[in-house]
This record gives sequence, structure tokens and C-alpha cells, in this order.
Amino acid sequence: MKGFRAILIKEFQHIFRDRKTLAMVFVIPVVMIILFGYAISNEIKNTKIAILNHAHDPLSYTLIEKVTSTNYFQNIKFLHGNHEIEEIFREGKVRLVLVIPDRFEQSFYKEKNATVQLVADASDLNNTVTLVNYMQTIVSDFQAEQNVLLPNMQPFQINVKMEYNPEMKSVYMFVPGNIAMVMVIVTALMASITLSREKESGSMRMLTITPIRPIFVILGKILPYMIISFFSAIVILLMAVFIFQMPINGGIALLLLICLIFMLTAASFGILVSTFAPSQQVAMIATMMGLFMPTMLLSGFIFPIENMPWILRVFSNIVPSTWFIIAIKDVMIKGAGFVGILKPFLILILLNIVLITITLQRISKK
Amino acid sequence: MNSIVVKNLTKKFGDFTAVNNISFEVKKGEVFGFLGANGAGKTTAMKILCGLLKPTFGEAYIAGYNAFTEGKKIRENIGYMSQRFSLYEDMKVWENIELFGTIYKVKKSILKERIKRVIQRLNMQSYADELVGSLPLGQKQKLAFATALIHEPKIVFLDEPTSGVDPIVRREFWELIYETAAKDVTVFTTTHYMDEAEYCNRICIMAEGSVQLIGNPEELKRRMRVNNMDELFCKFVKR
Amino acid sequence: MLKIARISKSFKKVEALKDVTFEVENGEIFGVVGPDGAGKTTLFNILVTLINPDKGSASINGFNIDKDYKKIREVIGYLPGQFSLYPDLSCYENLDFFATLYGNSIEENYELIQPIWSQLEPFKDRRAGRLSGGMKQKLALCCALVHRPQVLFLDEPTTGVDPVSRREFWSILKEIKKEGITVLVSTPYMDEATLCDRVGLMQNGELLKIGSPENIVAEFSGLLFALRASEMYPLLEKFKNLSGNIHYYPFGQQLHIAVSHEADVGLLYDFVKEIGYGLLDLQQITPSIEDCFIQLMAY
Repeated sequence: MKGFRAILIKEFQHIFRDRKTLAMVFVIPVVMIILFGYAISNEIKNTKIAILNHAHDPLSYTLIEKVTSTNYFQNIKFLHGNHEIEEIFREGKVRLVLVIPDRFEQSFYKEKNATVQLVADASDLNNTVTLVNYMQTIVSDFQAEQNVLLPNMQPFQINVKMEYNPEMKSVYMFVPGNIAMVMVIVTALMASITLSREKESGSMRMLTITPIRPIFVILGKILPYMIISFFSAIVILLMAVFIFQMPINGGIALLLLICLIFMLTAASFGILVSTFAPSQQVAMIATMMGLFMPTMLLSGFIFPIENMPWILRVFSNIVPSTWFIIAIKDVMIKGAGFVGILKPFLILILLNIVLITITLQRISKK
Repeated sequence: MNSIVVKNLTKKFGDFTAVNNISFEVKKGEVFGFLGANGAGKTTAMKILCGLLKPTFGEAYIAGYNAFTEGKKIRENIGYMSQRFSLYEDMKVWENIELFGTIYKVKKSILKERIKRVIQRLNMQSYADELVGSLPLGQKQKLAFATALIHEPKIVFLDEPTSGVDPIVRREFWELIYETAAKDVTVFTTTHYMDEAEYCNRICIMAEGSVQLIGNPEELKRRMRVNNMDELFCKFVKR
Repeated sequence: MLKIARISKSFKKVEALKDVTFEVENGEIFGVVGPDGAGKTTLFNILVTLINPDKGSASINGFNIDKDYKKIREVIGYLPGQFSLYPDLSCYENLDFFATLYGNSIEENYELIQPIWSQLEPFKDRRAGRLSGGMKQKLALCCALVHRPQVLFLDEPTTGVDPVSRREFWSILKEIKKEGITVLVSTPYMDEATLCDRVGLMQNGELLKIGSPENIVAEFSGLLFALRASEMYPLLEKFKNLSGNIHYYPFGQQLHIAVSHEADVGLLYDFVKEIGYGLLDLQQITPSIEDCFIQLMAY
């Protein structure tokens, strides 16, 4: 065990002495989440909304006052007819229109099924969805207040209509995606690079002929990166919650367990690559093509899987990141428990077993 | 007629003086051995003489061109071969020669004739279509030397050309060097084999950036009262 | 003691080792001498258990390289041809790392490495990548010795190293030998063969000859002459006209001439006179290892 510890310490020394690696490992997660996250939240703050009131009854004005009284939306514009909605979207100044239908008060009190409609410009999906979520919260709040006054009220129906991009995607997609990317970069990429560096420089031969077992050499070398990437995942989650107000509806332990499993997948992929790659460059390119690009393009992180041609859909099924993102999303947003994510969880485990088996076979060869 | 003239040549990198005030001349058609311990400034001096690096001060004329201002001219008029990089392993023998000939702007019709002559001289007719990577090391080195001469330069620089080559091929290599020098081409070479130093018309021993000793190997041995080059070298390159 | 029996190894088309057999006694310096591509590194890689031979077997101090490779790894030290330490770790950290891998501390075998380490001590906090070539080599040697191996493998430790540093390195090897450590060293420099107790001359994956340098020289067949040449190239040209079973090649500033049959000596004398040399210019000499190597290779 002394040997294992020596390798572990040595790897940390490598990391802390190489500024480039250090920057890559610690700065990337922060930069990514800020790039993805802040771009969105800044947009929201400057986006105006518009209100189209067909009802002109007291309850509709109470709702409008509720909306305008939050200091979140400024310069609210009032429209006078449906035709103005498309016009105002085209100008690009407004992303969301709150439409209060005719006879709003009457349906609310008498028919007990009032509807409000949110019409959104979904061409910039992430921003718009955030906006919609926010508006939904306000309307629900309003309803709750009304319920106190009038118990046993039917809930509001909030009818969201997405213009330009009718399939709605979760705004929070970028958080699971970012965690996946960081784990791929820090665990898979760094593991393959650090192992092939030892191979390239010949020091792996020195290690091989010492009495320490090869598996401990490998574990000792990649454990630091696993620790760091786990830490990065936690940083991303904290930023998501505290800076971008993303909810974590499911269990945190489950969330971290999924991260841990995905990290193992990434690590064994990195090790596998390094057993083939003769040099650091090859290892880097192989990891980029084999795991990084699929995570970015095929996992549903940026492009919706449903819109892909069938061949890519098939391929996206064997990309571990796809299942990781699904599982994380379900836990965070839907609040799914272990049973809820059983399918992606089991698939992830299966992919893991396959990868680790191949990797172990490669390593045990002399 | 001197093909290399170096006077008080100095090269500094910041505070570090890699080459310190060296002076020597190399005659046309001479085989000149450039020896020294690792880190004695040999490589830096070679780079200056090949027109790859500008000196800090002093004078250096290579094939009549000034090392301060005419680096490009120098590079066009010399041949260079190093133990580390010389030929493309994934190209055929004749392709390599053709490539370097074209780079040095040898006319197509002349080049064709020269490729034929080189392959004949090296007895490599049966290898001509093989990839350079598949040749034995000694053959590669001989080919690299011939390729460095394809544009008929006035001076050829060799950086440890025979490192690791077997004793017979080393001697064949030196025969090529003699043949070249006999055609009035100046050969400037470094080596770690001390017996090879004795093949040179004159040698120069460098240590700590300065020239320690220069002259004919036989004369130097006699003058310094040593039995062989190894002793001579160790006498002047102390730690 | 090392026993190497009929080892063969091929890589794709190339036969790197062909039926190599030899033994190394405890406590001797054994040199594997040969040019690049002779198979020296492949042989060492097999003996230090990095790769398996296709055929044949070998044992080190009774441990088989295939079955007992774990035991072997505990008793050997290895200095690869390429600098293989960690350039971003300091000298001390490198040494400490390798000591720990063997479950040792630097102090345990300090007296063994002390003579070498003492030269590095002033730089012990310097990163290994910033050392000079000679210092790097000494550090690597310390790291290979820090667990006091019984057998030390040195793969071309002096290649590309200047003669002064080479001398120094060989005197260190003599000291290591005094500690009772068996040393296997490979080198492309023929003149280094005389510094070994016994050598194996290697070429194209085969051992041409095994023995002490003195024995190898004694077994040189025929007679060897040296002819002093002021101008080598013209002399070589003239010798092209020489007939008979006579081999000649330049050796420093002399031409070495090997005569296989004593009957041909007269032929040589006549020829030398004919091309204008005095008989005093021609001297019979004792062959060097390089002369023997050339003989074994070429005729």
C-alpha cells in the first residue's frame, strides 16, 4: 500500500506543478457553467414581456398588478389584439406574452376553470423556458393567494404555447450536460493523457518492473483526477442551485451516486484509450472523438435526440453520457427516486461493466 | 581558400554565454572534426554556421556568406545531416532524394540523373522502391548523407552521423566522406567516437563555450604527449 | 547468476533475437556490445520482464523470467536507454518515489548510493528536467540502485555521452561491482568492451562471440598489421589493387590490415613496398575488440 500511496502523491505533485493541467481541471467547470448559465440569466433580466388582456375585469387587473409588482419584469408592454403578438416577437424585444382570455373572472369564479395562456418565442429555447418557468411561478402564486380567499378552487390552467419551437426542452439541460462534459474532460481525458505520458516518456517501464502491481499504478494515477472531477461536479451543482436557482427535487445522495458511476465509466474509457495510444496526442484525439464529441453532440445535451436520424439515435444509445444526462435530469427536475431512474441507471452500469472488462483484459496483457 | 571563417564569434542567451569568442578557419575540401563535451556549445556553434541562428557578435563567413545577414544564402549553399532527423521514414528511397533535391531547387533533368548516380554509388538499386523506414540503420545514414549532398553544396555539416552504426558501415561511411572531400567539398562533423576524430584532417575541441585546442590529430597527440585521442580529449575537457 | 537459454524474439517481420544463449556469473560486469539494431534493447527488455520471448527461457538467480517475474522485479535494477524519471519532480522526490515503490526508504541503502548521490546533493531540490545530461544519468542510476538490487541492467548508459563523462560512468560501475552487484551493460562503443569482465558481441540479433576481452582478442584468427597513413583516402584507393585473402580498413590514422594466412604476409610486404612505403611503416599489432568485431562480422 505504500507504493500505491507514493503513486497517488506523485500524481498530485504532477497536477499541482503543471499550471496548464491545473487550470484545465479547475477552471473549465466554472467557465462552462458561467458561459451557459449567465448568458441565460442576463438575457432574462433584460427581456421584456407583454400582456394581452382580453378580459378587462377586476380579477384580470389583480393578476396584472401581481405580475408588474415583481421587479423582475420591467417595461411591460400592453397589447391590444392577437395580431400584435407575432409582430412584437419579430421585433425581438419581447419573448413572452401573457394572454388573459375573455371572461376571465367569470370562468374563475363560476365555471371554476380559468385559463391563462403564455405565448413564448422559443427560438432561443433555454432563455425562454426560464422565462416561462418564472411566469408560471408568479401565476401559481397568484392562484394560491386567491385560493386562500376562496377555498376548493380548481387550479388555474396555464396554457403554454411555444412559438417557433413547439417541442419544449428543459432549461436545466445544461447542468447535467455540463457535469458530463467536466467528467469526460477531467477524468477520461486526463486519465488517458497522464497514463500515455508515462508510456511515452518510458517511465511506465520503470514502474512496470518495480514490485508494485500494475492495477495499483493505474488506480493511483487516476484517483486524483476522479477526486477532482467529483469535486467539480459538486461545484457545478452548487452553482446551479445558488446562482441559477435550479431546483434539486430528488435525493442528493442518489445524484452523487450517479455521478460516481459515470465517473468510473469515464475513467475506464480513459484507461482503455491509453492502452492503445502510443503517445499523448493520440490519446487526446481518441478521447475527444470517442467520448467528448459524442457527449456534446449525441447525448441530447445540445441537440435533441428525437430530431436525429435513426442511425445517430441508435448510436446515442451507447453513449454513456446520454443515460447519465437522463438520470441526472430526472432526479433533479422530476424528483425521481431510484426506481424512477432504474433504466438509465442499469444501462449505465452495463456500459460500465463492458468497458471495465475490456480495460482489465488489456491491462493484464504483458 | 577558406570555406569557413570564424573570428571572435560569441553567442549569448540572456546572461548565459553559449559560445565564447571562438575563432577558426576551415579550408576548402578539408575534413574538420568538431568535438566537445555535452553542453560545450557545439550545437549552438553548429547552428550559427548553418545559418539557423544569428550570433551576438564577432564574425562568421560560411561559403563566403555572412552569418549575421545572409542566413538564407548560407542554408542554400550547405548540406546538413543529423543523427536525429534526416529522412522521411514513410517515403521511398528515391522519393526522399527527389524531395530534398526539389527543396534545394535542383533542375528536374539534372536531379533525375543524380538520383540514379546516388543509388548506384550506394549499391541500393534493389532498395530504391523500399520505404526508408525498412532499411538498416547504416544504409539510412549513408543515404541521408548522399541526400544532404544532392544539391552539390560547398560545405556539408554532419551532426554525429555515425552514432550507433556498426563498425563496418561506419568505415564505409567514412569512405564516403573522403570521397566527398576529394571533390573539394568541405566536411564539418561532430562525433563521440574518438577514433573517428583521427580520420579528420584537423579537429577542434570545445569546452565551456571556448576552443581549447585545434590542429591535426597526429600532431596534437605528439605535442600533448598522449597515446590516443581519448586521453587528449579527457585532458582538455575536465569537469 | 543469469542463465539465458536459446532465446528468440520477433517483431512482425524483424527477427530481433535469434537463439541467444549465455550465462553471467555473480558479481561480474557483463557487456553486451553491438551496433544499434543488434537486439541489445530487446534482450534487456526480456530479462527485466517487460516482454516475453517467443522461444527459449532465462533465469535470474534461480527465478524464471516467465513464472517468477514478480520475484525477479524485486531483485533487479534497471536503467533504460531513454531518460525515464519525472522531469517535474525534484531529484530528491524522484529518488524517494522509487525507494518507496520498493517498500524501502532512502536511508536503508544510503551507503550504496552515497558516492553518486553526494554529487547530486547540492541540486536535490532542483527539478530533474533541469539537470544536465550527466547529472540526469547519475540520478537515474541512484534510482535504479536505491533498493540495492542483486542484478543491475544498464541499457546503453553511455550512448551520445562525451568521452569524459563515459570514463566517469565506468568508474562508477566498478564501484558498484565492488558492492557485489552483478552488472549487465549494453553499449555500441567497442572500446568500452575492455572495461567489462566478459562481453557478448552482438549483431543482427545473434551473439557472435562470448568471452573475456582478452580471450576474444586472443582468438583473433590470422595476423593484424597497421600501416601509418598521412592521407587515408589515396591509400585506400591504392589498396583496392591488392589481391589475396587480405582485409583492410581505416582505424584512426592507421590502416589496419588483417592477413588470414601467414603465407600472404609476404604478398603484403611486397605490395606495401610497391606503393612506396617503407617496411618500418608496417607494424604487426595486437587487435582490439573492434578489430575482432569486424572480423566476426565480415570474414
